[in-house]
Amino acid sequence: MVAGVRPDLEQVFREAYPRVVAVAARVLGSRGEAEDVAQEVFLTFGRSSVPAGEAAGWLSVAAAHTALNHLRSGRRRASREEAAVSPDAVAPDVADAVVTLEERRRVRAALATLPRKQAVALVLRHSGLSYAEVAAALDLSPGSVGTTVRRAESALRKELNRHASSD
Amino acid sequence: MRHPTDGTLRRLLDEPAGVADADRAHVATCQVCLTALAAAREDALLVGAALLADDPSLADDPSLAGGSSLAGTSSAAGLDVDAAWSRLSRTMAADEQAAADRASGAVLPIGKQSKARQSRWRKALRSPVIAVVGVAAIVTGASAAAAGDWFPIFRAERVAPITIDPADLGKLPELGAYGEVRFIKPPDVRKVPDAAAAREATGLAVPLVGELPRGVTGEPGLIVVNQVSAQFTFDAAKAAAATQGSAPTAPAGLDGSQFRMTAGPGLAQVWTEARGVPAMVVVRVVAPKAYSTGVPFEMARDYLLALPGLPANVAKQLRAFTADGTTLPVIVSSDEGVTSQTQVRGRPATLLTNRGNALNGVVWVEDGVINAVGGSISADEALSVARGLR
Repeated sequence: MVAGVRPDLEQVFREAYPRVVAVAARVLGSRGEAEDVAQEVFLTFGRSSVPAGEAAGWLSVAAAHTALNHLRSGRRRASREEAAVSPDAVAPDVADAVVTLEERRRVRAALATLPRKQAVALVLRHSGLSYAEVAAALDLSPGSVGTTVRRAESALRKELNRHASSD
Repeated sequence: MRHPTDGTLRRLLDEPAGVADADRAHVATCQVCLTALAAAREDALLVGAALLADDPSLADDPSLAGGSSLAGTSSAAGLDVDAAWSRLSRTMAADEQAAADRASGAVLPIGKQSKARQSRWRKALRSPVIAVVGVAAIVTGASAAAAGDWFPIFRAERVAPITIDPADLGKLPELGAYGEVRFIKPPDVRKVPDAAAAREATGLAVPLVGELPRGVTGEPGLIVVNQVSAQFTFDAAKAAAATQGSAPTAPAGLDGSQFRMTAGPGLAQVWTEARGVPAMVVVRVVAPKAYSTGVPFEMARDYLLALPGLPANVAKQLRAFTADGTTLPVIVSSDEGVTSQTQVRGRPATLLTNRGNALNGVVWVEDGVINAVGGSISADEALSVARGLR
């Protein structure tokens, strides 16, 4: 192991890597980019002194922040590398919610403009973290996690409706 | 009873057990709350679907998606965790090496750099490319110089490609085999925050890129390097040993003669893709110069070009350079790239085209500064950027 790197890094990496990628993928929509973000996150974590017990939450929050930073700064995969997909293609049908790729792009653009805490709470919740985990990771009360997530979802829904009515 | 908050309703969708019994009982019988709950469910489903990754292997576990939890799991089937760990390990090892080099460079006087740095540069000096550039810089120099003074013998004003068979690359002589190579000013590569800092560090203006090629986006990182200088002292005995006695006898006066080479300072703007691979690089480096303490250069050139180990076709190409000491050879492996001559801003330029079109670039010298534009862009794009630099 490289000097100056925390000794539990490999163990934490193997346990948490899938979740870190999943969180970043929620923000970026792309597995390749999400894996790049995961590398950045673990590089920082490897040289940190975050207590082992707080690692999972720290990594999830860091993944969301880093991915949102990528989204905001426009550091997106070059368009030539985007998978060639039909603009009419739809996302997997999940509980009757049918979302076009264009709508997904709009939601991600809107995500980048949300207050950071709302965006992170939303992404973590939709990545499968429990209310208690989101609360602990963001230093919120469990009661306010629902409020924060609801506001974010409402804002994103409005963004989709705004575009739908203008189409 | 007051209606539960929107936050409570939202949690009721995901974690009903986390909501107080009284709130749950209220919602079950309150039309206002049931309507709000339905709206919350609809929004959550829509946003959840919109946030799904494009890659199906990162999609949620469908068994949960329609159940009480509206948010996904972190299921990520198909991820290669071993490969990802290897990648992270490599990056950390490289970072540590770079940090060690920076740290040693900061505290040690020149000439006493860390073993790691010395080792890296010894390795670089052993590289056949460096050796050929060094030999070429010497043999293309024309003017003899008065003893005791450092006379300029080489100043790059243009570039020209030398094509080398990959099989010959490994046979090329190592400069260190013919004498002693010593860094007077070792390279110090570092990042700087902005163009002003780059200018202050190098004295060079950061070229402004007009239109970025398609797929190259964002702000570039800036890297600067100091002026590097090295000295080579020819050692006839060492050369004879290295060539196992097959070298021609060194002419009188060549043994112990010294050559000094400088290059830089320079700067590079690097546009990086999401995976960390440079998408495009724009480079400006003060062109190499070579000086001598005084040696009859025709003699030195003839001797060096006659050394065994220098492939005949490389020697022939070097000989073909004009003997005015102003042409810098650009080494191109014949199995990887092809070159063609073009013009950038009125100067002769060499266009390097990688077979398969994966990497392309253009190099030219302008007012004593080597300029290069290259990357995973097309040759036309590289030329367009080069010609549009301001």
